[in-house]
Amino acid sequence: MNRASLLCLVTAVMLAGAVRAAAPITVTQKGLQFSVEDLNVSKGQVVVFVNDDRTAHNITVTGEGVNLNGGLQQPGAEFKVPFVKPGTYQVSCGIHPKMKLSVTVK
Amino acid sequence: MAHQFPVGFDMPVHDRSRISLAVLLCGALYICNCLAGSESTGSVATGADPRTLLADFRRPAAMPVTKSNPTTPEKVALGQMLFFDPRLSGSGVISCATCHNPALGWTDALPKGLGHMGGRLGRHTPTILDVAYGEPFFWDGRAATLEDQAKGPLTSAAEMNMPAEQAVKRILSIPGYVTAFEYAFPGKAVSVDTIAAAIASYERTVVSNSAPFDKWVAGDEGAISTAAKRGFALFNGKANCAVCHSGWRMTDDGFHDIGISGSDRGRAAIAPGIVQLEYAFKTPTLRNVNQRAPYMHDGSLTTLSAVIDHYDTGFVSRPSLDTQMHRLSLAPEDKADLLAFLDTLTSVDSPAVVPQLPQ
Repeated sequence: MNRASLLCLVTAVMLAGAVRAAAPITVTQKGLQFSVEDLNVSKGQVVVFVNDDRTAHNITVTGEGVNLNGGLQQPGAEFKVPFVKPGTYQVSCGIHPKMKLSVTVK
Repeated sequence: MAHQFPVGFDMPVHDRSRISLAVLLCGALYICNCLAGSESTGSVATGADPRTLLADFRRPAAMPVTKSNPTTPEKVALGQMLFFDPRLSGSGVISCATCHNPALGWTDALPKGLGHMGGRLGRHTPTILDVAYGEPFFWDGRAATLEDQAKGPLTSAAEMNMPAEQAVKRILSIPGYVTAFEYAFPGKAVSVDTIAAAIASYERTVVSNSAPFDKWVAGDEGAISTAAKRGFALFNGKANCAVCHSGWRMTDDGFHDIGISGSDRGRAAIAPGIVQLEYAFKTPTLRNVNQRAPYMHDGSLTTLSAVIDHYDTGFVSRPSLDTQMHRLSLAPEDKADLLAFLDTLTSVDSPAVVPQLPQ
């Protein structure tokens, strides 16, 4: 299998996954809070974090052996996190650690 | 399978995409960033009536409840004694109140605190005023709870120098404390955890009273001066203070590099790998702020005027500088109005009671 064919196969697998996944869920960051404290999503579902504050935020995801830092999220910016592995994750803001959200993936 | 991504805030987008694909192919959680928006502006910044923002600064009606350590009168009474008791230090001469002196705004009026045997500590002593409402604790946020915070200075060799085991032994040697612990923590042994829980319970009762600003927020037009009202508009607009000093305590409980020169890395030492947390320190409350000079994490600014000058033009530019920091071009009358506003945040609080200590 040449490189182009492999790339097509990988893309097809990704797209197939995207088709099966439930619709994205939007969580807003406003008033230094997430719009929800707990969230249940299905495997592969995308959570879209929208910064509706005047200040920059950051999305940090930990749990199930994962430790991800999403970088600086400017006011108005979206940040998409597809949760592909079942388990429980803690989402917080590295700049404002009081902002917390628990995500359960089934 | 563990995936550790010490991704800096300034990582190029193409690098993020590469990492995202790699994580996806590993079958783990992946992440992609869509920087779709542009910077928003507050309503005051666009010229709207600043009174429309007053609701954002209204004091909460109720105290927060700490489920892991519910406040009881017995814990508060015990914590009050522990807070003021120098016998809880290795030298026998330092109490929590030595640095968090209620007569000095619950701090010590020093640029940097004095610890065991008079040793100079690394940072300015933060106030404990209204700590019931905020987290995490310390300038660098290394304590997630007030209980954890209380253990820090107690057991630090540089501060109170009282190892946990020694603290328990000393408490058990004082019969009055043994009884007080039995009342406060029935069925529990004296430990550093119960010591800290009692101190935290007391500290949560240290709450500022209603200030002139609160009366204005509640609708009393005469509660603050016209200059202070202009200062409030500046605070939310041109001076851009409220972007971090938000809410009724005037703090976002967040961490920002505001350009104080020095080598103290602040939050970055606790949460490494994030450029914007280098030299970043917790936003302090502004309640009763005119009673707490000197200012900043290093106590380097002696007056509130100097603090305003710092935000105006005095900060150091570096990659970690908060993106909200920019030269303000404040006129002298703007600075006077800001000072007038800050003065309205001070309340007349009930005098702290220094308790009779158990023998």
